[in-house]
Amino acid sequence: MTTYDSKRVAHIHRELHDHLPSEPALRVKALESLLVEKGMLNRAAVDQWIELYTEEIGPKRGAQVVARAWNDPAYRKRLIENATAAIDELGFTGNATAHLRAVENTTGVHNLVVCTLCSCYPYSILGTAPTWYKANEYRARAVREPRAVLAEFGVAIGDDVEVRVWDSTAELRYLVIPERPAGTEGWDEARLAALVTRNAMIGTDRDLAPARKGSR
Amino acid sequence: MDGPHDLGGKRFFGPVAVDEPEEAFHSDWEARMWAIDHAIEPAPGWNLDWWRHVRELIDPVDYLTRPYFDQWMQIEAALLIDSGVATIDEIVSGKAATAGPDLPPPLGPEEVRAASKRLTRYDRADGPAPQYKTGDAVRANAVGAAGHTRLPAYVRGRVGRIERQCGAHVLPDAKSRGIDRAEPLYTVRFEAEELWPEARAADAKERRACVYLDLWESYLEPA
Repeated sequence: MTTYDSKRVAHIHRELHDHLPSEPALRVKALESLLVEKGMLNRAAVDQWIELYTEEIGPKRGAQVVARAWNDPAYRKRLIENATAAIDELGFTGNATAHLRAVENTTGVHNLVVCTLCSCYPYSILGTAPTWYKANEYRARAVREPRAVLAEFGVAIGDDVEVRVWDSTAELRYLVIPERPAGTEGWDEARLAALVTRNAMIGTDRDLAPARKGSR
Repeated sequence: MDGPHDLGGKRFFGPVAVDEPEEAFHSDWEARMWAIDHAIEPAPGWNLDWWRHVRELIDPVDYLTRPYFDQWMQIEAALLIDSGVATIDEIVSGKAATAGPDLPPPLGPEEVRAASKRLTRYDRADGPAPQYKTGDAVRANAVGAAGHTRLPAYVRGRVGRIERQCGAHVLPDAKSRGIDRAEPLYTVRFEAEELWPEARAADAKERRACVYLDLWESYLEPA
C-alpha cells in the first residue's frame, strides 16, 4: 500500500540513484520486463498507446478546433464558454482535458501556456508535449521573461501588446486560440487548420499568415 | 515543498531548445516509458498528486539533469518500492522474485482507446462555497508548505486579483497524502510588476505582462 511518506520516498530515490544503470533505455527495459513478469503490464497495450498518440492524437486535433472557431462564430462562443464541451463535439476529449479553457489572442493580447511546477499539457488535443515545454529553461523563464522566451521562438511582441502567461498549477488545461491571419477570407476549415501550428496553440508562435517565411 | 521542481522565475537558465523536431516521441525508450505509465496501475492507493510529489522528491541533482522520461521511470520504480509491490533488486534486474499484487488483469490493447477518452474530473459539486469573488484582491501565502503543494514560490506573499471562480476542486496538498478533500479554486491574475521587481525598472519591456495561476482558497488571504 502507498505510504504517502515523503522521507521514505526521498530515500528510495537515493537508493535508485546508486543502483540503477545510468542509461535510461536500460532502466526502462528492465522496468518493462519486471512489470510484465509481475502480471501488471500487457506489452500489446504499450504498443497500442504509442500507435494511438503517434497516428491519431496530436496537434492536428487542436488545429481543427481552432479552424472551426475561426469559421463558425457560434462554435467559437461555445469554445470560450466551455472548451471541454466544445472539443467533445469533435470527439477530442480525453487525457487531461476534463477542465479545458480556451484563451484568445487578439491584436492587443498574446497568451502563453506553461507549467512551472511539472509538465501539465492538454494531451488529448495537442498530443505529447514537446521536450522544451517540459525543460527547466522554459519552465523557469516563461513566467518571468516571456518576451525574451518568445524572441527565441522567432516571435516578436510589440510593447503595446499585453502578454498573458497561464501557469497550469491546477487541473485546468489551456489552449491558445491564435488570431486568424489576414488573407484567409473564404478558406474552408481544412485549409485553415493547415496553418495552425502546435506552438501557436501553446503560445510560442503568433503570426500564422500563409505567406510568411521561416515559420515554425 | 521547497524543491528543485519549483522552477518558475529562477534565474540564468539558458536558451530554450526551440529547434526540436516535431514528433510524438523522439526515441523508442521514451515512447515505451510514456506508454508504460499509461498502461499500468503501479501501486494500490496511488493518485496523480502523489505521483507528482514522488517526482518532486527525486534527488535535486537528478531532477535537474536526468532526461524527462527517465524521471518517469524513477517515479514508477519508487511507487512500486514504496508500496511493497517490488524490491530495488527486482527493479535493477528486471526479474520478478515474487508474484505481483493481487490486482485485476492489466489494461489490454483493446481497452486503450476507451482509456484515452476517459475524462478524470477533479471538481466536486458538493464542495464548499467560494469565499472570494471576481475582482477581489488576494495575497498568496507567504510561507511555503512542508509537503506537496501547487502554490509556486514565485507568488508567495504577492497580491493578485481573482479573475474567476472555478468551483471546488480536489486539494492536491491533501490528495498527495491520500485524503480526498475539495476546496474552492480560483484563477488569479498577478501583474508582472508585482511578481518581478526588475520589471519596474531595468527590464521595462517585460512590464506589459501578467501571470494567471489556478490557486486553491487555502493558498490565499484577503488583501
